[in-house]
Amino acid sequence: MDPATSRPAVVIDNGTGYTKMGFAGNVEPCFIVPTVVAVNESFLNQSRASSKSSNWLAQHSAGVMADLDFFIGDEAVSRSRSSSTYNLSYPIKHGQVDNWDAMERFWQQCIFNYLRCDPEDHYFLLTESPLTPPESREYTGEIMFETFNVPGLYIAVQPVLALAAGYTTSKCEMTGVVVDVGDGATHVVPVADGYVIGSSIKSIPIAGKDVTLFIQQLMRERGENVPPEDSFEVARKVKETYCYTCSDIVKEFNKHDKEPSKYIKQWRGTKPKTGAPYSCDIGYERFLGPEVFFNPEIYSTDFTTPLPDVIDKCIQSAPIDTRRALYKNIVLSGGSTMFKDFNRRLQRDLKKIVDARVLASEARLGGEIKAQPVEVNVVSHPIQRFAVWFGGSVLASTPEFFEACHTKAEYEEYGASICRTNPVFKGMY
Amino acid sequence: MILLQSHSRFLLQTLLNRVQNVDKGVELDYQWVEFDDVRYHVQVSTKNPHIVLLSLSLPIPPPETDFPGGLPSGAIEAIKVSYGVVVQILDPPRDGFNLTLKLNLLKLPPDEDYKQSLLVKIASVREIVLGAPLRMVLKRLGSRMMIPNGNQLIALVHRPKEAFFVIPQVEKVIVVYPMRFSDSIDTVLATSFLQEFVEARRTSGLNNAPSCSWSSTPPLELKKVPPEALSANAGFVSFVIFPRHVDGRKLDRTVWSLLTFHAYVSYHVKCSEGFMHTRMRRRVESMIQALDRAKPDGEKAKRSPNSRSFKRLSLREARTNSNS
Repeated sequence: MDPATSRPAVVIDNGTGYTKMGFAGNVEPCFIVPTVVAVNESFLNQSRASSKSSNWLAQHSAGVMADLDFFIGDEAVSRSRSSSTYNLSYPIKHGQVDNWDAMERFWQQCIFNYLRCDPEDHYFLLTESPLTPPESREYTGEIMFETFNVPGLYIAVQPVLALAAGYTTSKCEMTGVVVDVGDGATHVVPVADGYVIGSSIKSIPIAGKDVTLFIQQLMRERGENVPPEDSFEVARKVKETYCYTCSDIVKEFNKHDKEPSKYIKQWRGTKPKTGAPYSCDIGYERFLGPEVFFNPEIYSTDFTTPLPDVIDKCIQSAPIDTRRALYKNIVLSGGSTMFKDFNRRLQRDLKKIVDARVLASEARLGGEIKAQPVEVNVVSHPIQRFAVWFGGSVLASTPEFFEACHTKAEYEEYGASICRTNPVFKGMY
Repeated sequence: MILLQSHSRFLLQTLLNRVQNVDKGVELDYQWVEFDDVRYHVQVSTKNPHIVLLSLSLPIPPPETDFPGGLPSGAIEAIKVSYGVVVQILDPPRDGFNLTLKLNLLKLPPDEDYKQSLLVKIASVREIVLGAPLRMVLKRLGSRMMIPNGNQLIALVHRPKEAFFVIPQVEKVIVVYPMRFSDSIDTVLATSFLQEFVEARRTSGLNNAPSCSWSSTPPLELKKVPPEALSANAGFVSFVIFPRHVDGRKLDRTVWSLLTFHAYVSYHVKCSEGFMHTRMRRRVESMIQALDRAKPDGEKAKRSPNSRSFKRLSLREARTNSNS
């Protein structure tokens, strides 16, 4: 028996904004770091400029050192701020790996510097977005097996893992719609029996970053006393600490106007340049921020379909025999679904749309046939922020996981193409 | 990053987090594994939020090493000396672990800097425990104490079921590592890495570093060792440590570097492989570009969008595909 199967598998969820990494069997990831690499490019330019003059050995060793001289995560961000020798590069854009060199370096640091494990000792579970092309899985497999010599690899689809995270709290259900609202992208992904229905995936150009931008815009327009260089960060923190979802905007406006002392919050900070303290009010943006998902016209003129409508369209485009099951299990995932009562509002709006359709069809039929009521259920759980990682941790701690993995021997026998397919395994349902 | 840090990053993060919110009752239960099969388990219960139970399991020792009671010799004393009143050793340890420590966060010193350095020390618990015997030998060398039975070979745990050898002498200590790698490519890379490593030692900037040598056969010092402990596929590396390498504060770093020499080599072998991959990817890309230029135009127009995804695309094409 392979000794690596007795150790916990390493689970790394690379997202556009943040990477979650840790060991299977734990409840929380060990580290949540921004997916960013700071590379020192000063060596590169130097060697080009003086390619003739100095001796090649010094140059060669400088190049080799530059190869090790990089940082990831929060360290990368602070390094690039404090000195100009480091350039930030974001290896993942819109959920797809964009720069494989940076990605390989990122994984190298994740494994050796953060998790401090020997990749030869552990099976690996990585994640990918449902829209990733198979070539990308091949490249991932190549890097993992050739560079890191991992004994086994499984590449899971993020929404499937988010579903898996949901079913530990209730029952095992591998059919459902995953509403994944991250920082950079929002996807509505229907999953039936553990398989993603690719043709019905819907994406929305509004995500967590847009909520932040909208709050920033509102505060700027009201003339709040926030230093401009800090305003995005303040808006992000306001979003994370004070925002909530309301049931009705007009009522909420009235409530705020009647009792400003109860609803209007104060924000205190210090200006980064001078260090002088300042304070500002936080008012309507508390509920207007998350409202962007339900009434997008308040934020952008290009995209005006509310999130509940998109979910409804997504389910209506799925195969007819799965629709009831899909309505029954709508799972939230991603940091931007953490607003208070987000799930209730979503459920209410969706229920309204569905009930209106049922009523209309009954009216059309003249009341002869009664349709069974459609059950709409939006599931929310406390670990939404890293639901994908948690799902991976749960799945990778089942014994079936090790059998579903592609092993190093298989890779050497058949090549990187085996990584194109990653079967749904028992334990997922 | 060139050298591995001696403290476990996650353990330090967890401890700092606990120290900052001592009063908040949180339930914690983490398990993780580090290189060379060192397992950690951290547990905090809501009832006693200031008590942290830290369990450690060590690599399985090879038969030739001295491992009384599941711990390297001198480990218990080393823990007591380094941590003082903060840590209490629980006997027997948790099931499946070699050592369980009970940390009392309320007994941490009030001084911030001292507290921080103590926490870092607790996070480097593996260095303290596994490095205890080596530290003892080097300390004796530093104080130039006569060794009771000099020239005797000591075997210490390095990796699971693998040992390295220490030969204390009057003015120096010789450390010999048999290097083993499981993958054939790794073995080749490690062999040439080690030869380069020895070569690099000879450059003028590193005159004061411990002298080191590599050979494919066991060095003469290991004559008495049973041959089954000497099956190394990437040769033998030996270092000669002089008293100047272990004075004062240098001792800690020397112990850690010697203790994790295999992990260091294996990390750099992986880095070199990554570097070669980068080069190879660039090369493939330029070759695909050359091929694309040579294609007649008619063929390009015929390709339907569906057949594209089954061909192996160049990186750039894959990127534009995925963005669209």
